Amino acid sequence: MEAYRQEIIVGAVVIYMLFCIVTGLWAMRRTHDSSDFFIAGRGLGPIVVALALFSSTLSGFGFVGGPGLVYSIGVSSFWMVVISSIGYAIGFFLVAKRIRMIAELRDCLSLPDVVAARYSSEAVRFLMAVTIVLGVMGYLATQILAMAVVMQAILSGTETFADIGLVSCVVISSAVLIFYCVTGGIIASVYTDVVQGAIMIVAGSLILMTAMSVFEGGMQEATSIILADDSEAMMPFGAAGVMASLGWFFVFGLGLAGQPHLITKMMMNKKMTDNRNILPMSLFGYVMAALLWISIGIIMRAAVIDGVVDPLTLPDDAASTFLSVFANPLLAGIVFAGLFAAIMSTSDAFLNIGTAAIIHDIPKAVRGHSVKNELFWARVVTVLLATVAAGFALYSHFADATLVALLGAFGWGTFAASIFPVVAVGLNWRGASVAGAVTAISAALLINFSVQLAGIVLPYGISGPLVAFITSMVLFIGVSLVTKKPVLAKDIDRVMQI
Amino acid sequence: MTRGIIYWIFAICSLMGIILLAIGLAETVPNAGGLPHPEFPGMVVGEDGAARLEHIGGLAFAFNALLLTLVVCLAILGVSERHRSPKFVVAMAVSLVIMLLIWWAMFSTHQEFLRTGETGYFMGFPIPTAWQMYGTWLGAIPLVAIYTLGFRHFIFTEADEAEFNALLKECQQEENQD
Repeated sequence: MEAYRQEIIVGAVVIYMLFCIVTGLWAMRRTHDSSDFFIAGRGLGPIVVALALFSSTLSGFGFVGGPGLVYSIGVSSFWMVVISSIGYAIGFFLVAKRIRMIAELRDCLSLPDVVAARYSSEAVRFLMAVTIVLGVMGYLATQILAMAVVMQAILSGTETFADIGLVSCVVISSAVLIFYCVTGGIIASVYTDVVQGAIMIVAGSLILMTAMSVFEGGMQEATSIILADDSEAMMPFGAAGVMASLGWFFVFGLGLAGQPHLITKMMMNKKMTDNRNILPMSLFGYVMAALLWISIGIIMRAAVIDGVVDPLTLPDDAASTFLSVFANPLLAGIVFAGLFAAIMSTSDAFLNIGTAAIIHDIPKAVRGHSVKNELFWARVVTVLLATVAAGFALYSHFADATLVALLGAFGWGTFAASIFPVVAVGLNWRGASVAGAVTAISAALLINFSVQLAGIVLPYGISGPLVAFITSMVLFIGVSLVTKKPVLAKDIDRVMQI
Repeated sequence: MTRGIIYWIFAICSLMGIILLAIGLAETVPNAGGLPHPEFPGMVVGEDGAARLEHIGGLAFAFNALLLTLVVCLAILGVSERHRSPKFVVAMAVSLVIMLLIWWAMFSTHQEFLRTGETGYFMGFPIPTAWQMYGTWLGAIPLVAIYTLGFRHFIFTEADEAEFNALLKECQQEENQD
């Protein structure tokens, strides 16, 4: 079997891509209008929503960047993972019920629709939609580039595709992505999320078992090797230090309830009461999948220090090296398919909310109504958005990475800082005002952009998103407290008392 | 009792901002955010942990204690005022105490390690890291349990469901009349 390692991996990825195409065709038959395209007609069951929610939380970063971070800075990055129980709990306490109620009451298709209903403000809708579009471009470009790079690495190991170029890989991966996004919309996305979630749970458990067998003394021997080399790397704050760790704890924990691609999924369940089961199921799935992140990172750092494996060229090579050195070819195939699944489903979710912002929210905020024939335009804009993002990805790779890096700063941290106060707090506090919301979003964008543009390095590993998040929370509540108490629409006022 | 929860949240966030500022202004050390590994490119080392915490250890402890308090306050904000019964508030207080105890156990065992250079192991990890790995994750399980098991008591009662359905009906009727 070892002799066919590369063929098995390529086979697993091809099977997954074919599955995406078939899912797209199947989902197309269930997509009759823009409500189906954007929010699956609010008709999903609890298992589907739970798996879609947790697998969207882990993009390709969970497979590649996560283990790479553990390899590089040790335990510091664990904070992004251990916060998941608090993050999901806060997301459900603050957002799940009210976003679902407002979505049904006002027939909302997107997150900006919900905030426009909550604040009775087109300005807040517009700002939210613009934030989403900017973030989506950055996220999509990096995801498409990551997918193409991994595809090139896999295919170049085979005789037939040994000389395949990055442009061809971008074209192939974008074509599959566009096909199933355009045909199946969010329905295709959530069902591929289900498969991705299942793969990740299985892969996480199998990878943990494999990792435990690398050293005779299991995980304890690996952690002892790291501890002996540099004790801080294996202690709770890791090599990056206490404030970098606590910053991630804050931004990744509370910030989960500010991620548009995640909280939009909280609008899609059929029954409100399903939320009680979706929360523990999502959390369980996430924890199982995160085993992969933690165990690969720890084993690879210990293996390099111990001389079992040569030092890696890049920390992000940790997962692929682990799979090629320690994992059974079948397991490697499953994990690589899972990696593609993670990247594609996250890309699809972003394409979906970006398209909604462009054809539904921005026109509504500017002209008072969205475009006619939304489903047709949703499909057209999905193609355009993916094409522009793929172009961006190639441009950043071959010419200048600044623009994508800048938009990439609109990642998790910026969404967390600008969306969390307005949505998570705003949906639960009737005193939240339009001025508070506009100030919070603007401040979050300004701080994150400034820190990124000016290349500011804060002391003790304090991150820009952490500063932006705390500032936007203080401004949101502070400005709302000092401005005139808002008068809410009757139905929204009643929903906020339930 | 919890009516002014938004003021608590505001106060906590403001305090956290002040602590962050104090940390930013504190005397810094060369390895505060880690240094490149002398042997392996791509790896970062933390080196002297005691030096890294010397000027900011207390502030960092307070920062995270406030963050955990903020988490519980936000969870309370997410529950309708009419369902914030004494039973619910006690359950939330117990959750907070558990999370704070775990944070204290992690921090103090790390301090102990920095003093002695010795640590035991629990399920594959040094004890301070085991508190972080298993403790932090499990520390929020009471919150998850309150949401899941208390769903029909605190989050979305049958009366809430009936009220929401009635509201939906009213809105639909109004729409039909228009």
